Amino acid sequence: MQNAKDSFYVALRTRLATINPERTILLRGTLRPGILVEEAEAPFSQFPNDVFVLRWPGTAVDTDLASTMVAEQCEVIYQTCGTQSFGGLDRGRALSEMDEELLAMLQPFYTQKLNYTATPPAAMMTHVFWDDPIFAPVVTQRDRLSRSVMVLVYSYEEQGE
Amino acid sequence: MLADALLRSAGGATALLRVTGTNADTNMSELGLVATTFAEVAISPVLMRKLRPSWKEGDESKWELLMSATSIEQQANSLDLPSAQALFAMTLAVTMAGQDYLIESIAANEAFGQVYLYRLLLREARQQSL
Repeated sequence: MQNAKDSFYVALRTRLATINPERTILLRGTLRPGILVEEAEAPFSQFPNDVFVLRWPGTAVDTDLASTMVAEQCEVIYQTCGTQSFGGLDRGRALSEMDEELLAMLQPFYTQKLNYTATPPAAMMTHVFWDDPIFAPVVTQRDRLSRSVMVLVYSYEEQGE
Repeated sequence: MLADALLRSAGGATALLRVTGTNADTNMSELGLVATTFAEVAISPVLMRKLRPSWKEGDESKWELLMSATSIEQQANSLDLPSAQALFAMTLAVTMAGQDYLIESIAANEAFGQVYLYRLLLREARQQSL
């Protein structure tokens, strides 16, 4: 299951770097694409703005198949207060931009499954694939707009996993 | 300086900020596969006080840490960081008397346009496995 989660994150991160190279975050002293896995970082008291945060809340397994299929629920959370130069009045536009970027990142709806514990990462025999995203309504908290998007990520368990 | 003297007279202690080292931007470091390097930055004088208890089942206690702005500034300069905020941004946890605390929020007290005290709202960190 972990290989599918890792492959999904790296696919999105690589695609984001192409779609919008300017969306970055300075984290642990490194400037990197503006997307992170919540459980692989220090705990946040508040999520950073203008960054995609991936969370994995649920898992389901189908064992009635030739290979066990795993469905992982991925929640992508992002928020924005707009930009300083617009006094935050562009926060709606900034959120729409993130919506579009996420949609672009998710296409195509599959990626090669890789094992990132190996160096260099080893390609596995199957793909990781996912459903259309489900966009939850925007949550407005004073000057901050946030959204949560659910994506179901599927993968087949391979030997040795 | 006056704030430092007050912190010292009220039993000023030393807090350790556990800051993360710079990691190469690799897949492994972003996926939690490699241990991050840490350094401990000593800040003194500091004063810690427990906040009014509003304890709920499963919640950790909250504390307020009053930190000397001069010490923070000195450490930020020695680490070649542009500001105190940059130092706090790199801080993973605060250690006091062997207990780790996570930072919930940071506030600064100013006088005549100069910060003399940082107030950190902390939450006790849960025990991590070895």
